[in-house]
Amino acid sequence: MTFWTPARRRKLKIAAAVLLVIAALGAWFAWYEFFREVPEGPWDADVANGHSAADVRFMYGSIGAERDAGIPYWIVYVLPRVFPDKLPGPNGLASFGLPWEEGKELPVGFTTKVIGFKRVAQNCAACHTETYRTGPKANRAFVPAGGDHTFDLEAFFRFLVDCAKDPRFNSSRLISEIELSRPPDFTWVDSLVYRFVLIPITRQRLLAREAKFAWIYRHDPPRDWPDWGRGRDDAMNLTKYFLTTSPLDDTLGPTDMPALWDLRKYQGNPGTRMNLAGDSWDANSVIIDSALGLLSAAPPSNEKFLDEVHWLNRYLDDRPPPAFPFPIDPAQAGAGRQVFDANCASCHASARTGTVVPVEEVGTDRERLHSWNKDAAVRANEAVKAFGIDRKGLVEADPTGYVATFLDGIWLRAPYLHNGSVPTLRDLLTPASQRPQVFYRGYDVYDPQDVGFVALEQQASRLGVSWADVTGHGSRFDVRLRSCGNQGHEFGVNLPAADKAALLEYLKTIVKPLPNW
Amino acid sequence: MNLWRRRFWILVAIVVGVPLVIAILLAMRFLPDRPVTYANIEDHFKYGSTGGERNAGFPYWIWKAMPVIFKDYLPRNGGQGYEAFGMVYETDGRGNRKDLPVGVMKRRNLGIDRVFVNCAACHATTVREAPDKPPRVIVGMPAARFDLGGFEQFLFDIAVDERFRAAVFVAEIERQAGSLGPLDRYVVYPLAVEIMRGQLLMLRHRFGPVRPDLWGPGRVDTWNAAKAGLNFDMGRLPAHELLGPSDFPSIWNQRQRKHRDDGKPMQLHWVGNNDEVNERNLSAAFGTGATPSTVDHAAIGRIQDWLLDAQPPAYPLPIDKTLAARGAAVYKQYCADCHGASGQDFSGRYVGHVTDVDLVGTDRDNFDTYTYDLAVSQDTNYAGTPYRFTHFRKTNGYANLPLDGIWLRGPYLHNGSVPTLRDLLEPSGCRGPAAVARPVTFYRGYDVIDPARVGFIGTVAQENGRTFYLYDTRQDGKHNCGHEGKIYGTELPPADKDAIVEYLKTF
Repeated sequence: MTFWTPARRRKLKIAAAVLLVIAALGAWFAWYEFFREVPEGPWDADVANGHSAADVRFMYGSIGAERDAGIPYWIVYVLPRVFPDKLPGPNGLASFGLPWEEGKELPVGFTTKVIGFKRVAQNCAACHTETYRTGPKANRAFVPAGGDHTFDLEAFFRFLVDCAKDPRFNSSRLISEIELSRPPDFTWVDSLVYRFVLIPITRQRLLAREAKFAWIYRHDPPRDWPDWGRGRDDAMNLTKYFLTTSPLDDTLGPTDMPALWDLRKYQGNPGTRMNLAGDSWDANSVIIDSALGLLSAAPPSNEKFLDEVHWLNRYLDDRPPPAFPFPIDPAQAGAGRQVFDANCASCHASARTGTVVPVEEVGTDRERLHSWNKDAAVRANEAVKAFGIDRKGLVEADPTGYVATFLDGIWLRAPYLHNGSVPTLRDLLTPASQRPQVFYRGYDVYDPQDVGFVALEQQASRLGVSWADVTGHGSRFDVRLRSCGNQGHEFGVNLPAADKAALLEYLKTIVKPLPNW
Repeated sequence: MNLWRRRFWILVAIVVGVPLVIAILLAMRFLPDRPVTYANIEDHFKYGSTGGERNAGFPYWIWKAMPVIFKDYLPRNGGQGYEAFGMVYETDGRGNRKDLPVGVMKRRNLGIDRVFVNCAACHATTVREAPDKPPRVIVGMPAARFDLGGFEQFLFDIAVDERFRAAVFVAEIERQAGSLGPLDRYVVYPLAVEIMRGQLLMLRHRFGPVRPDLWGPGRVDTWNAAKAGLNFDMGRLPAHELLGPSDFPSIWNQRQRKHRDDGKPMQLHWVGNNDEVNERNLSAAFGTGATPSTVDHAAIGRIQDWLLDAQPPAYPLPIDKTLAARGAAVYKQYCADCHGASGQDFSGRYVGHVTDVDLVGTDRDNFDTYTYDLAVSQDTNYAGTPYRFTHFRKTNGYANLPLDGIWLRGPYLHNGSVPTLRDLLEPSGCRGPAAVARPVTFYRGYDVIDPARVGFIGTVAQENGRTFYLYDTRQDGKHNCGHEGKIYGTELPPADKDAIVEYLKTF
């Protein structure tokens, strides 16, 4: 008489089979809801806005950040609606000044990908697509690879953390807002997944960012801790605290989001360095490091990741800046060329271009230099190596000065100097003591006369722009605050007025990188 | 054994059967979702559902109780109940007043009848040929009498009144409807009152500093309502963006608006910010409470299809054919390029295009309320569906509209600041004194047409105890400047102006 009678065996088999089916269904459910990947693209050219398919991919294509840094779509959707008080302006998500094309569901640089559920993350274009308008009533032009001068990245970072810290960030509140906008196929299963999994986990993950972002919340004296403002980011501190987990120091070095067009120009001369203070060896390394920052984790697949980096590098190598969109006086520009050759070319069209100029010589604000050091570079290089990624990497030395910049598309790279402390090229040709002390950055109506964006009330009234609109869409920039100094680069400031006018005219014409040999 | 077995089954019956029966009864009460439907398309337009009641619908008996309990908040213009907001009631075949006004729809949902405004609230109203003639409800025309802002302000006000609570409503409902059952009395209505107050408070909060009470009848601050819907932080909007009401438009002949001379669709809305008819319709349907999850696409589709070719009624009074013929010639020279060859033929070089706000020179407040940031934010509406908005654009002025049924579309200009067409052909006085100018003040909401000047009579302050809204063009958002000067015909001889007006009666 054995315990395993045939009847008991049969029952066991049935039970096992049932369990197996349940487990399989559960596994399928978990895979479907949380891991299933839906491929994106293909990218079609956007003829109406003058963008090639590659431009569209650059602006909206995933670089793989959704898996670890992605936020569930419907949370991103309702956050500006649940927390309007925490936005930098009254206009919902648009308040961050992100480039956002009419007709598009999300701003440029925001990518969506379904990995189980639809997630939103960012790509390079959020900080490297620029907008401008030729007048207050003109259509907005979008320039992929341009330096974004309107996006308040720091406010965006803070917003996500501040929302997570607010008691309103709870499943009931967020789901009741989702209910107002959800499509019919957002079922009760989706609602349960959001309620019990996605919202609580997202909250925890956003809260976990707070410690690493400690320095953007600092206001402790004696140092002042100004906001980055629109179009600037504290790039090296971001690298330090996110890629290398260095301990908090007292530095603050926000700088302009750079334009990324024509990267091939950095290949001509072996002395050229990347980044504003020459902290990186080559474009490939900069793209890898910046992209890793967006992923905020090791890539799921190094091969795919490096393919994407390679594509970005090729795209940016040959993407030119747009031509100046107003008339240029050719005779005046020709005269300006002479002035340029005599006064500017030694740094901006010579073997020196793209190489580091000692800070003592250029005399511009030093805070950015303090925000980076040899030690950090060593650790960052180790961190990337630990991911199994080979690259030439960051320069393992303390920074000593700023790179003499190439001038291709300089007309669109306002405000000027590495920290964006001088609103227009006309101001840059003025002695530092006479440059504007307070102005607004982040407004995208262009001023062809002063060569830069509308930043001052006098420009606004001359161009028929509402000053309330400028202050409403810009951030106030005070050059007396830390890292915001507008001193230095006092080159050409004593030229005769006629020469300055001619030089400005010539600078408008520069689209291609000037030869640096 | 049998005894225990019997007891077991009794227990099962109690534990399973009783809750099951209760559940079935509750499901029968609370699950049905049934709109009141109408076979006739005009009735469907006037009273049919858009689906918005599922989201925003007031319980029917609360709708009935509100104007009684909060009588003191109704506008004091002599109108009874919802008529005080310029809503109009039709009579049924037997001459009895209908239960709900034109523009209010009804649906059985969540165990109660729920009602809310539909498209017709803002796009249908009454017209009289003369003070002694009967009012005629015309569908598709602007609801020039409906004070939507006043209605919204009423709801905002009562939501914070201490009488907005279940006990008060239940007492009034029982007075009107007879005794309520315990389920309704103790559960359904107390809950409904709480939920409704919560929604009204949310709406009130989201409107922030926007002042619906300043709109006046026949007008709505469309873009600020859209911003409130997206929960923009209205309190931080610049002052010049906060008040820009415009007239309700007529909505006939949509098919012809899908094409203009250059082959593209016409730019719709006063500011010409959208050129896709169906998307514009869904955007407008937000005003009826229809959201992506509650919208009834089939019901709206029926209205949409009908509007493609719906026509305004012909002008009901005699037209002087000779004078009209003379007017046609002047119209062709001055007006046709922007406003179409006729009331039926919308061809014309600039029809459906936008004219720069500084060129047309009309009140820019409505233009300023529409911003680029709003345009891109609207692109998130209907996300995750094939209906997601993709056509909103910030423009640089106001759209040139076709003039079908223009005799029913007074007062004129986007903000309804000029009472009649004949007045529109006079200078505003904004550019210096004029011997004859557009009226500085006039009354809105009177439904008798002006046979000489075309539009509604704007000089009647009251009739049979009913007072009308004094529209003062010196106030913000109400300026009557612009659309004037030589090219706009305001310098024509009076006889030519009379002729144009006569011709426009044929539209």
